[in-house]
Amino acid sequence: MNTMKVINKIILLTLGLMVPMAACDTDELHDRNNNPQALQTAPMEFLFTAAQLGSAAGGSAGDNRYIDWRTNIGLCGYAIQHLATATGGISPGDKYFDNVESYNAPWEFIYGDQLKNIAEVLYQTEADAPQASKDVLRNAARILRVFNFHRLTDYYGNIPYSDALGGIRDLNFLPTYDEQQTIYTDLLKELDEATAALRPLVSTNRDDQAFRTADLFFVGDIDKWKKFGYSLMLRLAMRVSNVDAAMANTYVTKAVAGGVFTSNLDNVWVTMSIGPSEWTNQNGISRAFASGDGGQPTTLSATLINELKGPLTTNISDDDPRLMIFSEGFNGNVDPLAQKGLPNGLDQGMVNALLGQPDVNVRNNFSQLNQKFIQDDDPYQLMNHAEVEFLLAEAAVRGIGGVAAGTAQAHYEAGVKSAMQMYTRFDATLAVDDAKVAAYLAARPFPGAAADQLKAIGTQMWLSKFLNWWEAWADWRRTQYPALTPTNYPGNVTGGQIPRKLRYPNQEIAVNATNYEAGATLPNEPVTKVWWDVK
Amino acid sequence: MPGVNVIVKGTSAGTTSDATGRYNLAVNDAGPVTLVFSFIGYATQEVDAGTRTTVDVSLAEDVRELSEVVVTALGIERSTKALSSSITTVSGENFTKARENNLGNSLQGRVAGVNVSKIASGPAGSSRVIIRGNKTLGGQGQPLYVVDGVPMDNGQGNSSLMGNNGQAGLWGGQDQGDALSSINPDDIESITVLKGANAAALYGSRGGNGVINIVTKRGKARQGIGVEFSSNYVAETVMKLDDLQQKYGAGVYQSGVATKPTTVQEAFNWGGSSWGTELDGSPTMGIDGVERPYSYAGDNWDRFYQTGSAWTNSLALTGGGEKQTFRFGVSDLRSTSIVPNSGYDRTNLSFSTNAKLGNKLTVDAKVIYSFEYAKNRPTVSDSPGNAIQAIWVRPPNINVDDLRGDPNKLGAIPAGVDPAILLVYGQGGSAKFAGQELLPAANNWGQNPWWAAYQHVNSDKKDRIITSGQLRYDFTSWLYATGRIGMDYYTRRTKGLTPEGVGYQLGGALNEGEDRVREINMDWMLGADKAFDKFNVNAFIGGNKMIRSAERIQANGNGFNVPFQPFINNANQRNFSYGYNSSQINSLFYSAEISYNNVLYLTTTGRQDWFSVLNPEFKNNVFYPSVGASFVFTDAFTNMPSFISFGKLRASWAQVGLANIGPYDVNATYSLNGNSHPSLGTAGTLVPHTMATFSSAGGNNGNVPNPQLIPAVSSEVEIGFDTRFFNNRLGLDFTYYSQKTEKDIVRATISRASGFGTTDINVGELENKGVEILLTGTPVQGDLTWDVSLNLAKNVNKVVSILPGVTELTLEEPRTRNVFIKHIVGQPFGTITGRVQQRDPNGNLIFQSDGRAVASTTYVPIGNGLPKWTGGLNNSFNYKGINLSFLIDFKFGGDIFSGSNNRLTQWGLHQQSLIGRDGETPLHVTGVYNSGTSAAPEYTAIDTDLTPDQARNYWNNVGGESTAISDMFLYDASFIKLRQLTLGYSFPRSMLAKTPFQSLSISFVGRNLAILFKDIDNVDPESNYSANAGAQGLEYFGFPTTRSYGFNLNVTF
Repeated sequence: MNTMKVINKIILLTLGLMVPMAACDTDELHDRNNNPQALQTAPMEFLFTAAQLGSAAGGSAGDNRYIDWRTNIGLCGYAIQHLATATGGISPGDKYFDNVESYNAPWEFIYGDQLKNIAEVLYQTEADAPQASKDVLRNAARILRVFNFHRLTDYYGNIPYSDALGGIRDLNFLPTYDEQQTIYTDLLKELDEATAALRPLVSTNRDDQAFRTADLFFVGDIDKWKKFGYSLMLRLAMRVSNVDAAMANTYVTKAVAGGVFTSNLDNVWVTMSIGPSEWTNQNGISRAFASGDGGQPTTLSATLINELKGPLTTNISDDDPRLMIFSEGFNGNVDPLAQKGLPNGLDQGMVNALLGQPDVNVRNNFSQLNQKFIQDDDPYQLMNHAEVEFLLAEAAVRGIGGVAAGTAQAHYEAGVKSAMQMYTRFDATLAVDDAKVAAYLAARPFPGAAADQLKAIGTQMWLSKFLNWWEAWADWRRTQYPALTPTNYPGNVTGGQIPRKLRYPNQEIAVNATNYEAGATLPNEPVTKVWWDVK
Repeated sequence: MPGVNVIVKGTSAGTTSDATGRYNLAVNDAGPVTLVFSFIGYATQEVDAGTRTTVDVSLAEDVRELSEVVVTALGIERSTKALSSSITTVSGENFTKARENNLGNSLQGRVAGVNVSKIASGPAGSSRVIIRGNKTLGGQGQPLYVVDGVPMDNGQGNSSLMGNNGQAGLWGGQDQGDALSSINPDDIESITVLKGANAAALYGSRGGNGVINIVTKRGKARQGIGVEFSSNYVAETVMKLDDLQQKYGAGVYQSGVATKPTTVQEAFNWGGSSWGTELDGSPTMGIDGVERPYSYAGDNWDRFYQTGSAWTNSLALTGGGEKQTFRFGVSDLRSTSIVPNSGYDRTNLSFSTNAKLGNKLTVDAKVIYSFEYAKNRPTVSDSPGNAIQAIWVRPPNINVDDLRGDPNKLGAIPAGVDPAILLVYGQGGSAKFAGQELLPAANNWGQNPWWAAYQHVNSDKKDRIITSGQLRYDFTSWLYATGRIGMDYYTRRTKGLTPEGVGYQLGGALNEGEDRVREINMDWMLGADKAFDKFNVNAFIGGNKMIRSAERIQANGNGFNVPFQPFINNANQRNFSYGYNSSQINSLFYSAEISYNNVLYLTTTGRQDWFSVLNPEFKNNVFYPSVGASFVFTDAFTNMPSFISFGKLRASWAQVGLANIGPYDVNATYSLNGNSHPSLGTAGTLVPHTMATFSSAGGNNGNVPNPQLIPAVSSEVEIGFDTRFFNNRLGLDFTYYSQKTEKDIVRATISRASGFGTTDINVGELENKGVEILLTGTPVQGDLTWDVSLNLAKNVNKVVSILPGVTELTLEEPRTRNVFIKHIVGQPFGTITGRVQQRDPNGNLIFQSDGRAVASTTYVPIGNGLPKWTGGLNNSFNYKGINLSFLIDFKFGGDIFSGSNNRLTQWGLHQQSLIGRDGETPLHVTGVYNSGTSAAPEYTAIDTDLTPDQARNYWNNVGGESTAISDMFLYDASFIKLRQLTLGYSFPRSMLAKTPFQSLSISFVGRNLAILFKDIDNVDPESNYSANAGAQGLEYFGFPTTRSYGFNLNVTF
């Protein structure tokens, strides 16, 4: 049985070999937990770019449609009466219904996408941190952080701010809330410091060049970053102007001194493209409207159309040139005089009654949003020059921040011009020449009385934020311009008032209950007003 | 005694005794023969049969081999007398007579302390098996499955790459199945459930939730080749549990008045609302422009659901001699579901062989292969793609046959529809066209049931190989060494098609994916089994190395260049994704059993695990000790009363660890986004920008990695006794256990304001205490034998603590978005929380002035999805070859939140939504309303009948997202079911004498035949749509309950 003996020896040897194999705390074991598909460290520019994209509709989180679909369009676009719907769509803003997703989306995406990434950029670039040399990146990230936090607090009121975003680095899972006033105080301080600290890029500085390569907004143009910082400062300062005159005054002064946007060339855009991923690269607003994606209806509100058409309903001489830019007509009807918006707060039966016909096809009877605004690769605008001019005009009228009273009209007219002329990036055909601007300003001149001036400015600001509806909603809440007639559809949750804030997400109420109850803006009703909303 | 081998000495002729202990053997030799009777654990007997035609033999226990032997941890066979913890064995025939596709479901009601939940997700769905309660707040809590010593991935890991193939959730989806469906019941010799920590301690962390040991059949020494054939055919039908109102049709309240559709537009807008007028037979408009009588259209369930079927054919060949045996099995299952165009097929092949090479070396080798094809797993929970919900939602006057649309493409808009109607279908957008989905209502996310069933694709094919090789070398009669390598490997090819033209994604999308999962276990053992006078020592040491890797490759396409041609290379946008992970556990272990005179047994085991998934800088290893003792008092004392046949006391203590986290979960790393994003460069060109974010948080809801995680520790004390009386005709087995998990690893939902959605943390403490009772009896013995067994278990679970300052952890949320499952300190695992109606300081219910109920602002505990009592009662009657057995099982004390009843009420279909309609019993509210402000409430009495419009508003609000009175839809989930019934007949040998058959039996089999008790309307109390731990007690448009019945044929040659 020689063979058997040989086999037996092999067996024994094999068994013997297995003993060391199974012991125990080996390098093989440790190395196995290094994810071969991930980076142990990353250039923070990569996260900064993601945050920039995230600031335009959460694209870096893999769903570029959700927040626009649910909140920007579904709630804000209807609530401020740029859009209207009788059937279909996610439209809690039209009839003031609850929509949990519309309430949740900004909370989930702004914290969970861009602010999370910005927090990491700031963590890795602070003094003594591995990427501390990237000061330009850090200061730009601070500005971007302000941009996102003010939007978030405008939606909800008090929110976790100073204690927020510590999930990964501080293992702080249940942050406390800050008062909106505290938040604004710090946001303005941050803008002041970060914008002032921005320095020109140096061509031999690798960090600077990496920032240039990463920057989606301005390709490393620091002058534009500074203008963005100061323009944002102007916006925030004016937002608190009804509740903290001193803060408003201080920061309007600083913003003007620092230098704000001066033309449409300064506007903040994020370029979009068709591919390779529709969930990352396409425009979230466009995708939210795309009929192929279960999207929103594109019917424009009567409030918007009537404003664009002006008081002369049988004459186009006082029409806003944007009428046939925003509207593509309906059912092939592109006659400006025939344009007709849908009143908000109606259901199909009420539309039928309104027109006295059965089975009204809304799309064929009311002006529709121009498809040229909602192509998948249309750019996404974050902030524009027109707003700056309108804010300056308002500051001039109200005597804030040393903006000369006599400049109100000039600022107003510059704002109107820029507002009308900023849409060519969507489509070259959406151009408004200077003559048309002038004709409009002649037909609807800047009024004389201060109250009328504020109304005109507010109305123009409202028009200038077409597509940027969350901002339009914030402006309206602050200024109450234009005067919007609320709807009162049966079963609405606001008692027939336009909502003033978002409810907090149910998950936040359930999970972070103690801090929520101690610090949130309550009662948790859509009619509760945030701190700066006093009108 | 069943299963005794009977062989004619020196020949190939042989058989085994049947369930009643009878056997038949044809003997050709005229001369005298000797029969050899053998059975494991009993002394082999040779009996000279002479010329007798009946040879009755009683086998004596083999003192050397001890009595009954069970397979325990690591495949070690041990005497039941030595066991110091509760172990239950279920024999293979329990899985083959009346079959379940998923093995887990066959365990329901069979083992005390094993709580099986069949998920309401269709024929290829998962089962959730929990032994002695949930031991961890995180993780899935399911046991480790081991097939002939090879651990098997059950598809229940924490992350997708850990092998969790997916469950339906808040936004719907499909139950992608688990591993238990891969196992061919015909291959199973027995299944042993190692319930306690003591029994499972040798498996280390992986056995922390208990172990289910599957032992497959092996070849037996015999002359010639044995052939077994069985065929099983069952039909499956819907068990209709719905009881909806049939009085009011499609429509809505307009200006406060119920209105039925008069136009196509209205029919379309109101196609999912049953708040119309009373059905009166008058003409009403349909979505297709055809007027039909406004009357009850009949039962849509009958029209849509079909009779499913499952046909299994199995063949096994066994043979071998003294040196080598083999078994080869093949089995084929073809089934169709009650949902059209859906089914599940499975083919299994298995081969095992055992050889003795020389005197000292034994080789064991096995290959089990399975191929599974799940065709169109039904979508459950949320509505997109969900045919089941699409059937539920139809108003009573709608006939789903009218929604079939294009006969060549069911559910699609047929050619030739009036353009005006196509515009209506476009919902204010562009007109729809033929070939796109024929939506039954103006809701893009509510599907046409035919479309959902025939146009959506959710299919997968899985190839799985479980193979092992083992060598055993006996140095001496008492010293041995073994080495074993086992592998579980599967690939799973998935295909998901969101068809072009579907309401919510007109362009359509296609997803082709492949998973590859491999787990290799290598272990060795050095053991000794030696007697010293009255003492016996049975001990071993060993080691194990487990390496697991998983890989997922996916190609996605959106939109199709050539319409209605859904393949990846026709997609106008294509992208791919890739995922990979790997983990490893190294282990050393020992076990020692010392017995005295076969009366007293002491066992101790220990195992140390080192984990790759934990951080070595903190703690990446843990030691699991166990000790146990058993005392057979009937053998120790000779003066016991004679009616006590057997008695044993047992006690044990053990600690096992749990490391419920995935690879890389403790490390903060970054991942690069799959797609760069462009900016506009100087010359108008697009410049790509690379983006990155946290690896564990690619989306907006990521997980915070926690580097400091250490293994959780679960300790358990168990005491019990096993007694048998009156010659074993009555048996009582009782166990009490007390289990505690500390430093549990939990994936906790955290505030999104932290930047993340969840984190893994070592938290708190969780305890389970319970009793298990197994009562067996043979009340009648003789020609008629009646065996009865009752198993009963109670588990009391309590979350003792979570984190300092944290008293709640939030888990799942259903689509109704008005309840959350939470772990709350002081409450049991998985509390259902929701809103309840507010009360004023005097306890009066608070309403709005218009009668709507005012919901509490916070979520409060309203129930718990886990039963307190589970059990089963099995009866078996044998009379002259006729066997009747049935299993009744039950669960008591759990709750279920019915999202279906919630929605059915809002839609106006639930019977209770009749209350308050015009002409019906008015809806009366009694309580108060706040006539003051929210800051300074003043409560004014309200005691009134609501108008029909107010009543409709009331019903809509109680099911709303922010306004819900959640506890209105919480039900007691207790039930008693007739789970299984078989009626069989074994043909007597005399009838088979002239046939080639050695045995032939045929039986009628039925599964899930009746619900004997339940306390919830419209749905089955066992209708969980997900097997996830955090989703227990949630029901939302799951797969309908079915009953199945058919025939089973068994033949041996």
